[in-house]
Amino acid sequence: MSIPTMRRQLSVTLLMLCTLLFQPVQAAGSSQLLQALPEQPKAGDFQLTDLDGTEHRLSNYRGRVVIVNFWATWCPPCREEMPSMQRAWELLEPEGIAMLAINIGEDEDTIFQFTANFPVEFPLLLDQDSATIQSWPVRGLPTTYVVDPQGRLAYRAIGGRAWDDPALLDMVRALK
Amino acid sequence: MHVITLLIGTLFIPTASAAGSATTGSDPETGLAFWRYEAEGILFELNQRLPDQTRAFFQARGFDADAASQFATSCVFQSRLLNTAAAGGASLHFNLNEWKIISGNTSISMATTDDWMPRWEKQSIGQAARIAFKWSLLPTEQTYAPGDYNWGMTSYDQPPGTRSNLTLVWHREGRRESATIRNIECPADSPQETP
Repeated sequence: MSIPTMRRQLSVTLLMLCTLLFQPVQAAGSSQLLQALPEQPKAGDFQLTDLDGTEHRLSNYRGRVVIVNFWATWCPPCREEMPSMQRAWELLEPEGIAMLAINIGEDEDTIFQFTANFPVEFPLLLDQDSATIQSWPVRGLPTTYVVDPQGRLAYRAIGGRAWDDPALLDMVRALK
Repeated sequence: MHVITLLIGTLFIPTASAAGSATTGSDPETGLAFWRYEAEGILFELNQRLPDQTRAFFQARGFDADAASQFATSCVFQSRLLNTAAAGGASLHFNLNEWKIISGNTSISMATTDDWMPRWEKQSIGQAARIAFKWSLLPTEQTYAPGDYNWGMTSYDQPPGTRSNLTLVWHREGRRESATIRNIECPADSPQETP
């Protein structure tokens, strides 16, 4: 075999090796942001109280896009995504998009303590007996649904997300 | 020519690992062991949880000491399961009831939320504690789109210090796939103080 041929083969081999070595990183980094729900089932209505004692009924938000997040203070990915949810809310709230984070099974004191380290301005609702989460198609925390103005489940995310990702925000805005 | 053959041979190692590879190690800060299985579109991690950590977690959420200890000493790992497929890729479905723990000649099923919850009701564990328990375990069954994942505790119903193999099963595009992580070690328990 000639030297140029060997060099060419070596270059191709090294290129393929690099492609394979970096493939898992690319795959992990390009996962989709929100899963579209083609059947768009109707979101189950709920009436829950926030930390200020204000009642929130999902059906009262009809006509607006609503991000509904299920979480708990002890859940690591829930805590991790909270700051990005706050940043997203700062961008989306002036545009009329609502965000409701439903805490599962914890009391007001626990959540108040949590907000000392993770200050958020969007409503944190209490589902202390877990009746609401059990009436929604949720199996793990965090899970987030995006409800369209007609009150249908349009998107779902299982696990945390960077909610201020511009591409994700565009998906939410497109539901308006 | 031998150089080329050697490089091509090396080239096929990542291809084999894409079909699945298990690795293990320990956290440099805590010394606790972890196991990780990775294949195309899936990543599963197990991190040892000391029984004392688990006792403290559940006692802080309303479990009495006995009940917290029952669970804490059942071989509990902090677990993470992800669909690592690229956007537009296949969804991943799993049901922990299909997973097996093999120790010697014995094969047993995982102890899932559905196995534990009736025990807590029988022992009159309070509602808030049971809710925290239910949602802190890895879901028994779940379907992940690309990018979806859960964290959660998994229980292997083995005494502390037991070593066993775990066969995990998942479904993708109608295909049933499985892999075995070998020699998983249940975290050891520290001696409990007697009153």
